[in-house]
Amino acid sequence: MSNMTWIVTLIPAFPLLGFLLNTFFVRRGQAAGTIASAAVVLSFLATLGAIAVLQAQPVEPKRIDFFVWEWIAIGNFRVPFGFLFDQLTAVMALLVTGVGAIIHIYSIGYMRGDERPVRFFAAMNLFIVAMLCLIMADNLLLLFLGWEGVGLCSFLLIGHYFDRKHVAPDLVPSGAAVKAFVVNRVGDLGLLLAMFAIFSRMGSLSFYTQSPPDGSPSIVGFLERLVDQGVASALIDLGAFGSIGLTTAICLLLLLGVAGKSAQLPLYVWLPDAMAGPTPVSALIHAATMVTSGVYLIARTEPLFNTAIDEQGWVVAIGVLTALIGAFAALTQFDIKRVLAYSTVSQLGYMITAVGMGAVTAGMFHLLTHGVFKALLFLAAGAIIHGTHETQDMRRMGGLRESMPRTYRLYLVGALALAGIFPFGGFWSKDEIIAHAFAAQYNFTGVLLIFASMVTAFYMGRQIALIFFGKQRDTSYHAHDSEPIMHIPLVILAIGTLLIGAINLPGLHWLADYLAPVTLEGAEEFSLPVAVITLLLSIGMGYLGWWLYSGVLGRRVRPGKEDPAYYYLGDIWTGAEIALGLDWLYQNGIVRPYRVVARFLSDVFDREGIDGVLVEGTGGVFARLGQIMRGAQSGYVRNYVLVFLFGVVLLVGYFALRS
Amino acid sequence: MVPTTYFVILSAVLFTIGVLGVLLRRNALVMFMSVELMLNSANLALVAFANARQMLGGQVMVFFVITVAAAEVAVGLALLVAIFRSRHTTDIDQVSTLKG
Repeated sequence: MSNMTWIVTLIPAFPLLGFLLNTFFVRRGQAAGTIASAAVVLSFLATLGAIAVLQAQPVEPKRIDFFVWEWIAIGNFRVPFGFLFDQLTAVMALLVTGVGAIIHIYSIGYMRGDERPVRFFAAMNLFIVAMLCLIMADNLLLLFLGWEGVGLCSFLLIGHYFDRKHVAPDLVPSGAAVKAFVVNRVGDLGLLLAMFAIFSRMGSLSFYTQSPPDGSPSIVGFLERLVDQGVASALIDLGAFGSIGLTTAICLLLLLGVAGKSAQLPLYVWLPDAMAGPTPVSALIHAATMVTSGVYLIARTEPLFNTAIDEQGWVVAIGVLTALIGAFAALTQFDIKRVLAYSTVSQLGYMITAVGMGAVTAGMFHLLTHGVFKALLFLAAGAIIHGTHETQDMRRMGGLRESMPRTYRLYLVGALALAGIFPFGGFWSKDEIIAHAFAAQYNFTGVLLIFASMVTAFYMGRQIALIFFGKQRDTSYHAHDSEPIMHIPLVILAIGTLLIGAINLPGLHWLADYLAPVTLEGAEEFSLPVAVITLLLSIGMGYLGWWLYSGVLGRRVRPGKEDPAYYYLGDIWTGAEIALGLDWLYQNGIVRPYRVVARFLSDVFDREGIDGVLVEGTGGVFARLGQIMRGAQSGYVRNYVLVFLFGVVLLVGYFALRS
Repeated sequence: MVPTTYFVILSAVLFTIGVLGVLLRRNALVMFMSVELMLNSANLALVAFANARQMLGGQVMVFFVITVAAAEVAVGLALLVAIFRSRHTTDIDQVSTLKG
């Protein structure tokens, strides 16, 4: 069984097949949904098989490195196309294919009646392929291929409603898609430069040492070279700016890439707009999987970050700040999906903080629990949007507890998990991060994380109250629960949310033990005081949020009007609502000036300069010259004869006088 | 024996008349005649010089010129007929469409 390593190729093969079938042969939406879902379910089964094979590997550390072919070989630049399947990949692949399969099945119901279901399912399957390529890559270049692939699918799916002017006020699908793509390019530049630096200084892009089966010399993994050859103390000369440590530079560049993909400060602005896509897309790509690839990247290259101790402070700072900003922004939103989007930004901040502190297990644990309960929340939000006839504004909801009782219960499970309430998944993983912060002497960070956790509980209380309690504020629609194909996936996810905390219970810490060969760290110490304090504060704040918005403040919420709290807080509220105005800053600091320059280049430089002076000018000179010379061409034979005569006289005169 | 100079002078006079004819007359037919006059003045000069220097080459050259002139007249008259058919005129100044 241990030599069945080829099974790992099946994991991405099924969704790829589904993508090809849906792209080239299928025309009916129902068939496309079935094929796409089946492909991901098969992929999930293949993942389970691969995990069994991984478990049966005879040599420690257990790791499947399936070499497919030599992708690029130019001199000593050798990049294999191969799949690395170790414990970290296994956990990620389970999340991607497991939650992915559930969301695919849900989408069959959600996308019924859509104009382009086949395109949707093809892109979803392609996304799964790209995501698996990202997490199963055995080198950075292949990882980058997946990284760009998920970016492409994200673009395609955010812009699924590209023909609609807007899906919510101020939210244009095509614009949001382009924004996500462009902001991600900024991050990708960092990842690319990091790859250049890694290759030029360490001579390889492979994570671990590989020996190709065809007998060619083995490729040394760069993560294993860190320990030797003084790589850790190497410097990069920056000319006039002094010099910077090699690993420091690489980590900062990687961090830029992570900030782009995982929506961290200062590049988180694209994620709230990404909600323009269909809700299953928000659940799969912009909550559970793609946005966590930054966390995965840091976890994968953790030895690098460990070498560059100074930079871990940067990672933690960015993570904590993002967690706080995201939480406060989520507090002020009225769009049901935007609340969840900012909440995702905030929770990603937690994960980045965790991996930044070196607590890879805690980060991955939160990634898993978040992947499940945020998928649940998004899909439940999708059920609400579906059941209320495309209503997304929470001011137009209220009292849905009675008309959508099943959805209400499921949403409550997700909300409690997100708020970190015992015994749901979020409680265990979030507290592990906070406990680690105190254990690793990041005390201030720990306090800020608890604070962010309180805000999280508050905005979830607010959201629950606004959606489900009070009276329905807009009675122009009749809300209803969703059909079984959309409901059953939610139930599965809710059960998962309940149980997933068990994978890393204090005392048992299965996940920590399982990941130990990759993370090289022991189990987390669980701190009961921290957990109890956080839990009590979260419950208190959650209750406060619910109490305020189902009572005194909730009664004053009106469709189209500001939040009642706005009248007490004013600009502070607005500041949180626009998430510190980074979006505004980019709009006015980068996009507008860029547009002005672009307009100058197109209207003045190109149209007047290139087109006017150079192209038209050249033509104009010759046209004028021709205008002058056309007089000679009179059409009268006598004129020509006269010129002839002069010519002859001149020539004859010349030859006669020369001798 | 008439001196060669006389022939050359006569040739020059005929040539000048031909040139002036081409330049001044508007009737295409007359212009052709003037061109013929120029050609034959050149012939006269050729024959005169050939006689003066006792070389046969000049005489032979004249035959060639006469042949070419005949062909040229044939082509020219054909053109003239074509022009007359389409324009109903032999006035060369009326045929000035081909100009810049």
